[in-house]
Amino acid sequence: MTNVKNSMASCCISELSFQSLCMLSPAEKLTTGRPSEGPDGSPPSVATTLHITHGVVTDVAGGPTDLFGGRAVPGKPLVDLLDEAEKFGFLPGGTAASINTALAARQSKQLLSLADGRSIMVATEFAAADDMTLHFVDVSFAVQMTLSQQRDVLTGLPNRVELLRRLNEHLASPASLPQTAVLYVDLDRFKMVNDTLGHPIGDALLKLVVERMQRLLAPKDVLARLGGDEFVILQAEGEQPHAAEVLASRIIEIVGRTYLLQGHSVQVGASVGIALAATDGKTPEELIKNADLALFKAKSAGRGTFRFFTDAMDREIQERRALEIDLRRAIIMQELSLVYQPQFEIDGNKLVGFESLVRWSTSERGSVSPAQFIPLAEETGIIDQLGEWVLRTACKEAARWPEPLTVSVNLSPVQFKSPKLVSIIVGALSSAGLPPSRLDLEITEGALIENTETVLLMLNQIKAMGIKVSIDDFGTGYSSLSYLQKFPFDKIKIDQSFIRSLETNADSAAIVRAVTALGKSLGMMTIAEGVETESQLELIARDGCAQVQGYLTGRPLAADAAAELISTRT
Amino acid sequence: MSLYRLVYYSENRISSSVADLQAEVEEILTQSRRNNALVGVTGALMFSSGYFGQVLEGPQAAVEATFERIQQDPRHGDVALLEFAPTDTRSFDTWAMAYVGEDSALFAHLGPETGFDSDKITGEALFNRLRAMVATNAAVA
Ligand SMILES: Cc1cc2nc3c(=O)[nH]c(=O)nc-3n(C[C@H](O)[C@H](O)[C@H](O)COP(=O)(O)O)c2cc1C
Repeated sequence: MTNVKNSMASCCISELSFQSLCMLSPAEKLTTGRPSEGPDGSPPSVATTLHITHGVVTDVAGGPTDLFGGRAVPGKPLVDLLDEAEKFGFLPGGTAASINTALAARQSKQLLSLADGRSIMVATEFAAADDMTLHFVDVSFAVQMTLSQQRDVLTGLPNRVELLRRLNEHLASPASLPQTAVLYVDLDRFKMVNDTLGHPIGDALLKLVVERMQRLLAPKDVLARLGGDEFVILQAEGEQPHAAEVLASRIIEIVGRTYLLQGHSVQVGASVGIALAATDGKTPEELIKNADLALFKAKSAGRGTFRFFTDAMDREIQERRALEIDLRRAIIMQELSLVYQPQFEIDGNKLVGFESLVRWSTSERGSVSPAQFIPLAEETGIIDQLGEWVLRTACKEAARWPEPLTVSVNLSPVQFKSPKLVSIIVGALSSAGLPPSRLDLEITEGALIENTETVLLMLNQIKAMGIKVSIDDFGTGYSSLSYLQKFPFDKIKIDQSFIRSLETNADSAAIVRAVTALGKSLGMMTIAEGVETESQLELIARDGCAQVQGYLTGRPLAADAAAELISTRT
Repeated sequence: MSLYRLVYYSENRISSSVADLQAEVEEILTQSRRNNALVGVTGALMFSSGYFGQVLEGPQAAVEATFERIQQDPRHGDVALLEFAPTDTRSFDTWAMAYVGEDSALFAHLGPETGFDSDKITGEALFNRLRAMVATNAAVA
């Protein structure tokens, strides 16, 4: 070994620190003393092997990196060698003593950590009474692997496994229970950042978010990343629930402030769910689950806010689960049905078609409101199956009606996420034998908010086949007008909230007038829904609305009743 | 590395006592002088008892890092980013600070001390500019 190499080795080793040793997992984590392989699968680099007889070095085999800088020579007492190595900075301070103690106790394994990041395992074979061989083995790779099983690679934070371990450890002392809270943090709009600016910026953002949160934590708190944009904080000490509330508000405020990343200004928000160790769960898993439930509530309360877990949330989730099971069964058991609400041309009072509306009733639940089960179907993905059933049933029914009566079918924004949507529509039409021009698909603005390009592509395909497309609940969203520009809808359905307040709110009347005028100039038909009184009908007629649907002109009817209405009206 | 300019406006959350305000402002001054010079950031900070307004100019990464620290500062809140865009020229050669508002005598020393060039742009002028930007809802990049 040359002098240059020696001095290089010594300068690395002189930076040894105990801090990194303390941070390492205990040696027992390295389940066996099995020498680790290099990252490329190469054999481990044995730093040094010492053979000791009667406390004196008798044989030395130096690996590629001699830990002792050439000072390990036969004849030198081990105690002196270790002392020297420490003094000259080859080994971290205090290591000599701890190696000696371990050897005296005939402990065969010990882990040392060098400041340059290397981890050295001292593996000792005790042969005869006073005869032993010490292998100093570089086990950095194995240690790294162990750490990576505990840590999130991107942020270096503890992962779920490590969080559970720390929570377990923390909850083991009963005194800490009343002081402990688990905060589940989830970023709002993070997906949008990833989608629009790309993953590298998304990753950089996550790191900044972590830095901001870490600044808000107390020394004993633990911040873990469970994946994606989900984080959990173990708040270890505080007067609860006040401390958790303060921390949650601080996180929401600070994380919500603007980020600058590679020339972009980026805004995300945070929502937080909180579970208290004293009341909201006995195990770490249960606490995390309940904090997650509270988070769900915070998110549905409009994001950028926090919620404490309550027992009511738990009950609600159980009920939801039960409802979900029932709904899945209902689709299979055909417990769902469609009703049809007539639509008329105001001028001449002529029947033009029906809107199909889904109904569900069970013997135990009675009739369940669509406002309850449609969102559930959307969140659980049941909507695809449900939506297909509605399309097929409505088309089949409409095929029995005389030309040119149309059937309107509502499409959920979620259905546009399925690439099969267009072929499902085509399938429903062809198996019913219904001409495309007699199907009218109603979509809400919600469908156009995300993945607008893809959705527009699908809508254009649908329209090209001759199917009609209407915009539903018009005027309730934020940017209704801009959507009219993006797609040539056949019909605008003015939301019933404007109709209902027509007589009491001058603004509503103005909006209805403006929308009908707009429809005319864009070549789109306008229909008012929710019309309940004669005077409302008169007003919309005066304002130029072409069609009407509502209790006044006809309630939703079962298929047979709809057929009967048709026979009297045509 | 391209030059960027950043302008924001925020709410002063330093407690309303004049002594506190003075002490904190001195501290911000010291921190900013040291840090900004180190990374080539120039600009101006204007404040009143109610608001801060700041312009930061410099290499993109330096401006971003500086702003990231400022963002986390509890001494202010409701930070409204008004401008963040590449620029060809700096409008401030150094880092300057000035007080706008009532009682300006209290902070009169800051202008000369920090090289705030009142001929080039007065605090009021910048504040007015900031205000105008807020009012017209200037786009944020
Ligand atoms: C309104 C306001 C403006 C600030 N401007 C700057 C600045 O331009 N440069 C800076 O380094 N710190 C600025 N700070 C201070 C930072 O928020 C932060 O406290 C400081 O950079 C920490 O620096 P230190 O770690 O060197 O003490 C500002 C703080 C406030 C409240």
